[in-house]
Amino acid sequence: MAFVNFQNVTYKYPLTKTPVLKNINLQVNEGEFIAVMGPNGAGKSTLCYALAGFVPHFFKGEISGEIEVDGKKSSESTLDEWVLNVGLAFQNPFNQISGAKYTVFEEIAFGLENIGVPRNEMKDRVDEAMALTGIRDLADRSPYSLSGGQQQRVALTSILVMRPRLLVLDEPTSQMDPIGTREVFGVVRKMAEEGMTVVMVEHKVEWIAHFADRVIALNEGQVLMEGKPNEVLTADLLPEKGFGISRYTSVARQAQQQGLWKQKQLPVTLFEAAEGFTSKGGGGSN
Amino acid sequence: MPERLSFHIKRDSALHHLNPLTKLLLVLTLILTAFLAPFYWTPHILAVLFIPLLSMLGKVGREYFSTAIRLILPAATFLFAMQAFFQPVGEEIIFEFYFLDITRESFLFAFSNAMRIVVMVSAFTIFLLTTHPSELMSDLTRRGLPGQFAYVIISTLQILPQMQAKAQTIISAQRSRGLETEGGFFKRAGALVPLIGPLVFGSLVEVEERAIAIEARGFTSKHVKTSLHEIPDTSTDKLLRWFLTALILASIGLRIWLS
Ligand SMILES: Nc1ncnc2c1ncn2[C@@H]1O[C@H](COP(=O)(O)OP(=O)(O)O)[C@@H](O)[C@H]1O
Ligand SMILES: [Mg+2]
Repeated sequence: MAFVNFQNVTYKYPLTKTPVLKNINLQVNEGEFIAVMGPNGAGKSTLCYALAGFVPHFFKGEISGEIEVDGKKSSESTLDEWVLNVGLAFQNPFNQISGAKYTVFEEIAFGLENIGVPRNEMKDRVDEAMALTGIRDLADRSPYSLSGGQQQRVALTSILVMRPRLLVLDEPTSQMDPIGTREVFGVVRKMAEEGMTVVMVEHKVEWIAHFADRVIALNEGQVLMEGKPNEVLTADLLPEKGFGISRYTSVARQAQQQGLWKQKQLPVTLFEAAEGFTSKGGGGSN
Repeated sequence: MPERLSFHIKRDSALHHLNPLTKLLLVLTLILTAFLAPFYWTPHILAVLFIPLLSMLGKVGREYFSTAIRLILPAATFLFAMQAFFQPVGEEIIFEFYFLDITRESFLFAFSNAMRIVVMVSAFTIFLLTTHPSELMSDLTRRGLPGQFAYVIISTLQILPQMQAKAQTIISAQRSRGLETEGGFFKRAGALVPLIGPLVFGSLVEVEERAIAIEARGFTSKHVKTSLHEIPDTSTDKLLRWFLTALILASIGLRIWLS
């Protein structure tokens, strides 16, 4: 039985006329790192909220079907119990700052205070989490004085420190530079290796191709495609439906039409593109 | 953006090691004594002797004196002048300036009132300088103040400067689109209207997201909360609180008895 299990989940916000999630079926295994992508308004954030229990417990609205995480049904659980298992960090880091704390260290400890972790253990866990995400040097700063990218790291750390079984991240690198993005993907990959299950909404296809185990393409509230990163990210369907795709894929597709790309599989990353164009039996040599 | 949003100064002093509630009670005692004690010189002695000593005990003397000179003294002087000139009591005129005059009674009355205000504001200043806001809130929550209530107070204190900064951003944005935000009163009041939308609507979305964010971090969890900072509460604290309570009762008692 999969760790995360969506069965025919259909959901409508109180104010929307049509469903935002339509008949979603989704299975994620324990320790798997899944990337979710899709155009604006596809329902990615709503999917995250559904995983984290906020849909429907916080937003209300109409839901049908069944959401299960770790064998427990969302419909039979309460939000305050659910969040102990499922951690959520979302896009806007500024609104994730609790506003009740004066330093980054205290901010990260906030969740542990709420769930009654003893003081000594709390300090160790905060230290460890900050080291993991590389923000130790920010410990004494005010969370409000940080850049957007730094705040996003703090938001991620504040959730990681709670050690959820399922980690849900909604565009966690949107304000980060390439170095920050790479580090976050690295941390997430590491957590997955250690058994944490991860669902991450992202647009940065090259990093997805490099790090994720599986990709889900969401469109108009439905799963359009799912599968291995390179299969999904190079599918002809994606650009037709308005998904952002890798420029290397676009270039190689053009080249393919001119007979210049001779590999079976289109590339996603620069490395794959370079390999494909130069390797023997393929490439653009003529 | 402001790096430091609280007055608190981290030092290692006897005052810093007191429990926040004890300090709060000390503030209350000082204020009540200054206002209620039936001896004329009480507020003066408290203001010029006790308060400075207290600030030095808390190792925040420098910070306290700078606040006192920049803020408290000017405010008290203004208050003193207003009351001295406009209090219609007494006969014996000791100072005249055109149509304004000060009598002996109004002078004494205004002087002790100004001193009372100095004691009140100074006591709070020293309290804020030596008490960490999160510590205060954790302590009060531990003693039964609802967590939500504490959160609202402390997050408001923090978020106000952020709101201000945001309003400023919106104003600049609207101005760059040709909006008048300077000039006469009506012009400026009218110019506020287009700011309300982004500020209020933005805040509603923000409030929703912030609610989600703190909920995701177990804010409404039924576990008993713990606190990162150890909050001191020694037998000295308990003794001191009994003593302060007795002092408060004594000044109220004396006041009633002597009047
Ligand atoms: N709180 C809400 N109330 C009503 N409708 C919403 C709410 N949040 C999102 N929606 C709508 O649901 C749809 C999907 O939104 P969302 O899940 O945020 O998409 P994405 O994250 O993929 O951009 C959009 O049409 C959006 O307008
Ligand atoms: Mg979204």
